[in-house]
Amino acid sequence: MTETTKTPDTPGTPSADAVIAPDRQGLIPLPAAAARALTLVGGIATVASTFLAWTWTADFPGDLTVYGYPGGLQWLTLVGGALVALFALAGYGVRGLGWLAPAGPTGPAVLTALGALGVTWYTVIAIAVELGGLVNLEPGGYVAAVASLTTVIGAFGLPAGADETRRAKEAFTAYLKAHGRSRLRLAIAGVKFLNAYIGKPDHIAAPQTVPGWLQRLAVTAVTMAGLGIFSYGIDIPSEEGETFIGYLVVIVFAVWALHTAGLLDRFSRLVAAHRGFALAMGFVAAILFPFTQTDDHYANIGVNILIFGTVALGLNIVVGLAGLLDLGYVAFLGVGAYTAALVSGSEFSKFSGVQFPFWAAALTGAAASLVFGVLIGAPTLRLRGDYLAIVTLGFGEIFRIAVNNMDGVSGPDITNGPNGIPSIPDLSFFGFNFGTAHDLGGFTIGRFANYYLLMVLIMAIVVLVYTRAADSRIGRSWIAIREDETAATAMGINGFRVKLIAFALGATLAGLAGTVSAHVTYSVVPNPYQFAGAAPPNSAFLLAAVVLGGMGTVAGPLLGAALLYLLPEKLVFLQDKSLLAFGVALILLMRFRPEGIIANRRRQLEFHETGQLDVPQQTTLTDEPAVTKAGA
Amino acid sequence: MRQRSLVILTSVLTTGALTLTACGSRDNGKSGDSGSGNTLTIGVDAPLSGENSTTGLGIQYGVQIAVDDANKNNWVPGVKFKVNALDDKAQPATGQSNATSLVGDDKTIGAVGPLNSGVAQSMQQVFTSANMVEISPSNTNPELTQGKNWQTSKKRPFKTYFRTATTDALQGGFAATYAYNGLKKKKAFVVDDKQTYGAGLAKIFNASFSKLGGKIAGTDHVNTGDKDFSSLVTRIKKSGADILYYGGQYDESSLITKQLKDAGVKIPLFGGDGMFASTYIETAGKASEGDLATSVGVPADTLPAAKQFIQTYKSKGYKGDYAAYGAYAYDAATAIIKAVKAAVDANGGKLPSDIKNGLRAKVVDGVQKANFEGITGKVSFDQYGDTQNKQLTVYQVENGKWKAVKTGTFNG
Amino acid sequence: MNTLPQQLANGLLLGSMYGLIAIGYTMVYGIVQLINFAHGEIFMTGAFGALTVYFYILPGGTSMWAAVPLMLVGGGIVAILVAVGAERFAYRPLRQAPRLAPLITAIGLSLALQEVVRNFYPGADKARAFPSLDTTHDLGSVTIKDADIFLIVAAAVCMSALAWFVRKSRTGRAMQATAQDPDTAQLMGIDTNRIIVVAFAIGGFFAAVAAVSYGLKYGNIDYRMGFLMGLKAFTAAVLGGIGNIYGAMLGGLVLGIAETMAATYINNIPGMQQLGGQSWANVWAFCLLILVLLLRPQGLLGERVADRA
Repeated sequence: MTETTKTPDTPGTPSADAVIAPDRQGLIPLPAAAARALTLVGGIATVASTFLAWTWTADFPGDLTVYGYPGGLQWLTLVGGALVALFALAGYGVRGLGWLAPAGPTGPAVLTALGALGVTWYTVIAIAVELGGLVNLEPGGYVAAVASLTTVIGAFGLPAGADETRRAKEAFTAYLKAHGRSRLRLAIAGVKFLNAYIGKPDHIAAPQTVPGWLQRLAVTAVTMAGLGIFSYGIDIPSEEGETFIGYLVVIVFAVWALHTAGLLDRFSRLVAAHRGFALAMGFVAAILFPFTQTDDHYANIGVNILIFGTVALGLNIVVGLAGLLDLGYVAFLGVGAYTAALVSGSEFSKFSGVQFPFWAAALTGAAASLVFGVLIGAPTLRLRGDYLAIVTLGFGEIFRIAVNNMDGVSGPDITNGPNGIPSIPDLSFFGFNFGTAHDLGGFTIGRFANYYLLMVLIMAIVVLVYTRAADSRIGRSWIAIREDETAATAMGINGFRVKLIAFALGATLAGLAGTVSAHVTYSVVPNPYQFAGAAPPNSAFLLAAVVLGGMGTVAGPLLGAALLYLLPEKLVFLQDKSLLAFGVALILLMRFRPEGIIANRRRQLEFHETGQLDVPQQTTLTDEPAVTKAGA
Repeated sequence: MRQRSLVILTSVLTTGALTLTACGSRDNGKSGDSGSGNTLTIGVDAPLSGENSTTGLGIQYGVQIAVDDANKNNWVPGVKFKVNALDDKAQPATGQSNATSLVGDDKTIGAVGPLNSGVAQSMQQVFTSANMVEISPSNTNPELTQGKNWQTSKKRPFKTYFRTATTDALQGGFAATYAYNGLKKKKAFVVDDKQTYGAGLAKIFNASFSKLGGKIAGTDHVNTGDKDFSSLVTRIKKSGADILYYGGQYDESSLITKQLKDAGVKIPLFGGDGMFASTYIETAGKASEGDLATSVGVPADTLPAAKQFIQTYKSKGYKGDYAAYGAYAYDAATAIIKAVKAAVDANGGKLPSDIKNGLRAKVVDGVQKANFEGITGKVSFDQYGDTQNKQLTVYQVENGKWKAVKTGTFNG
Repeated sequence: MNTLPQQLANGLLLGSMYGLIAIGYTMVYGIVQLINFAHGEIFMTGAFGALTVYFYILPGGTSMWAAVPLMLVGGGIVAILVAVGAERFAYRPLRQAPRLAPLITAIGLSLALQEVVRNFYPGADKARAFPSLDTTHDLGSVTIKDADIFLIVAAAVCMSALAWFVRKSRTGRAMQATAQDPDTAQLMGIDTNRIIVVAFAIGGFFAAVAAVSYGLKYGNIDYRMGFLMGLKAFTAAVLGGIGNIYGAMLGGLVLGIAETMAATYINNIPGMQQLGGQSWANVWAFCLLILVLLLRPQGLLGERVADRA
């Protein structure tokens, strides 16, 4: 397998590291053995503390009053503590745990310890603040706070690898040299130091080869774990916003730790080797989701996320692959939804006698979007860059205003104006009515779960189209156009034609998603199809989902969409400050991870300047093409 | 060694996932036995953040005050109520998701909301399927209760949907009658904001005013969020209209009336209950003098309960604006609480044990039969779920205050 | 009664306001190729800054002759602080980032600024009254009020001052240089960071001037006022040729007049009775924009920029 993070200059042998490693101590000067012990014991104590009561009243979300059984936020602390303990054990060199941290256990231990500290102290402080005073803490709360603090102290005492220490010191001094000294600068330098200290080392030992079936098993396990973690997050009731915050803290630190440990790199290599299989597992997990839920509400959230995610994926073709900034994309979702509503047989539709079967309605909706995409694209795609952005923004607004006015009073009678088209009947395939609950092997699949499963199917189509298109000749042309239009045109790519295809394809996929969304919500109204608003979908949110998740990737926009949908949903406890928090979160996310959560390899290289432009994608040159073929 | 480690990875992660999932279910099961067995939840769905939140918060706290009153006065012995307010951000999909959330919770017996008719359309079916009552304090679109052909053949589409707000048909007609007969205005210019509420109101006013013999000097439509109405004002000026009817909210109408008077067109602006709020006068300033608005019910200062409500709202320091729909929300919540009481009484003073499949249906029946004096007047519903309170009042701005100038009923 | 002169005046006034705000978009874009979508909110904070001066700092009953300049100063300070702060803490760290990252930041910033004002400014969850200048003057068939005169004069003064500044002053020429080629400009000893800050500050100040005119004209302000105005101003900047300050003003005027004309006269065209009126005005404005861009892809006054996509 190729070492994708390899830097061209040094191969980096362990012996060379040992030579330039003056100290083998952590940040906090503790003997290595003591630090290890402290981390391990702290981690275990943190776990143990969750079995105690933290507060006396069940008023705090999750009911943290029970001895012997953790609840709510305590579970999250438990997970944090357990992860620290695991990494600490890996530090002891316990057999069978070595794989946990191929890149050294110190960084991950520090991060998980910080995560556990974060969630524990957050809980304790939240209890004290919300219930009014420290009195409300039971001894268990104090135990947890102390235990998690001990863990962090221990983790910072762990001997760091020579590499990290050296890089951290370099980062520290380099920053001070560049900017001069002051209290603020020292603090920033400290952050940079810490960042390098717990950062992922450049070289990770290549894993031993394991049989293909085992690799696939690992992919399966991780996907299922992901499903479990996702369902847990989605199931947190909206009124327990505190638990959701704790959940986010644990997730962020745990993922960061896995990244530092080098496990994410390994996993992504595993996925790259078994692409088809991983994709299939992803869909299996998605299909299983409604079966893990007892309440149709979560399927409702799920279907909304899927619709939003599908549209974001469509936008990803336009923005992420072809590099066209589209600020009015939600209009295509609207075209699809309105078309489906018009032919749905709703009595409020202009063509109320007409009722297309769903496959026909879906095709009509997609086709209508396609037509609009071409109509908008053909004259405007000759414009460059930001001019296109404003034109698409204008089109989005035109769509919304036009739809809002076409009620026969201030425009032709087509869309029923602001009242929209309500009473859209539920779908029905071969006698399978989507509107009612069905029993499937002991599980009740409610209305929204039905639509959810339909949406998974549509999502599969969209993902297929996306990946096939991205890997095709046209996909490479898109990327060429995105990177340098002049050069691409000079190389014989018909820029206009290629861009038009991207635009039309993106529009079609959004229209397809729109046809389902019309049926899910029973009605279509003009309001949601605006440029920017407080809730998805709107063009700004769609763009944010793509950019936040990671442009040009498949998983990125889906993750971004899930996050953007769930965050406002779960932040209700902030009440009227939720939008403020959301705005600030967007700024911070972009500040610290501008390439998106799941970064496209090429973009990441671009962003973290390597001094070498346009590094060719190396992932395609894997050592095991035969396995890939066999697995796919 | 490698193989084993992967096996361990698998087992650790799967165990983790299973425990996490298990945890989710434990919480749900647990909430029942935490000593609050007899607490029922009333859901609220309204925009609580962003654009329409001022009005939305008025609905939330209107319900809150009703629930507080019920708990304080022990209206239903042995049963406490609490509010679960959900934010729909004026988006249909979000409103629907809130509806499924309320329906899925087995302590929730009914919901008040939403603010926007467009959101209601995506929620009605969800509530009907779950047999849960939904009372909107503000939806005015006749189609919501009387079906598409409400003018010719009324047909109720959703049996669990009610509203304490009157339909556009009443307010628009009442306003037209007063403008023509009361104010002796003969030439009206009709403007609306192209929203369900405003467009509906303007349409009815237009029709009624013409039917009475008045002349429509012109019509136009604006977009919510518009600020500059100078070209509209110029056209109104040219049309020679002697009254301007505006269907919409105070955000735009306060700007229009100011720009109108500044341009030297001294004709009154007449609107519906969407602009019957002190904010209108505060933002339009002197320009609002002489402007009119219709509102449902008798004037608040003639009813002690209504005065009490406003006092409570102010003294608690609640955010938002109670003036538009707060009182309707209060009455809606009260109707639900009274229906619970009726069900409890019928059950020998005990709360029926099966809330999802038993109590909810009884509450729907109870709300249908509701008949009590609320703070907006008499609360009772007809066979379509519309309020039977046909009492309407015209208010006029006089010395910077809304003053009732005519109260009456309208059946039109 | 012939309403054409009055409608032209209406459009001109609206357009001047668009133009003033558009300056901020166009200057920032000209130098860093960044669409500062939060500029509308900078305009909004400027209005609230001016309101603060009037209601909370000046004694009651201050004559408007004294109050307006002070409000301009107060609004200007707030808007400049917000604009420069946004540049320093939100945009500058992203200067090397992918092109779309600052756009998302701008969307986040725009939401956050609106919500900060709504949540923390007293009474700002509803519209707040703003002192207005309402004395009217009849000039033939055109009626205008004091606030309109203020707006026109302010726009003219600001534009000429800016034109002089950019052409004659040292900083102004440094700006031109940076806009043409940032790398070379830096090599020639120009502190490009400072130039960018100046661009943001000028944009902020112009937005504040527009905001005060807005308040004086319409008599109330609210936390959402920046969104649509910002969008329109951005349209105006593109229409005039983004990067060109005269283009921004011209684009603003064209857009303002086009909207007014569309709202008034489109429904007189046979067959289009239903497509006129104020609710369709924005549609026609955007159609005009698309049309102009098709015929002149660089905007009315824009220069053909070779490869700056």
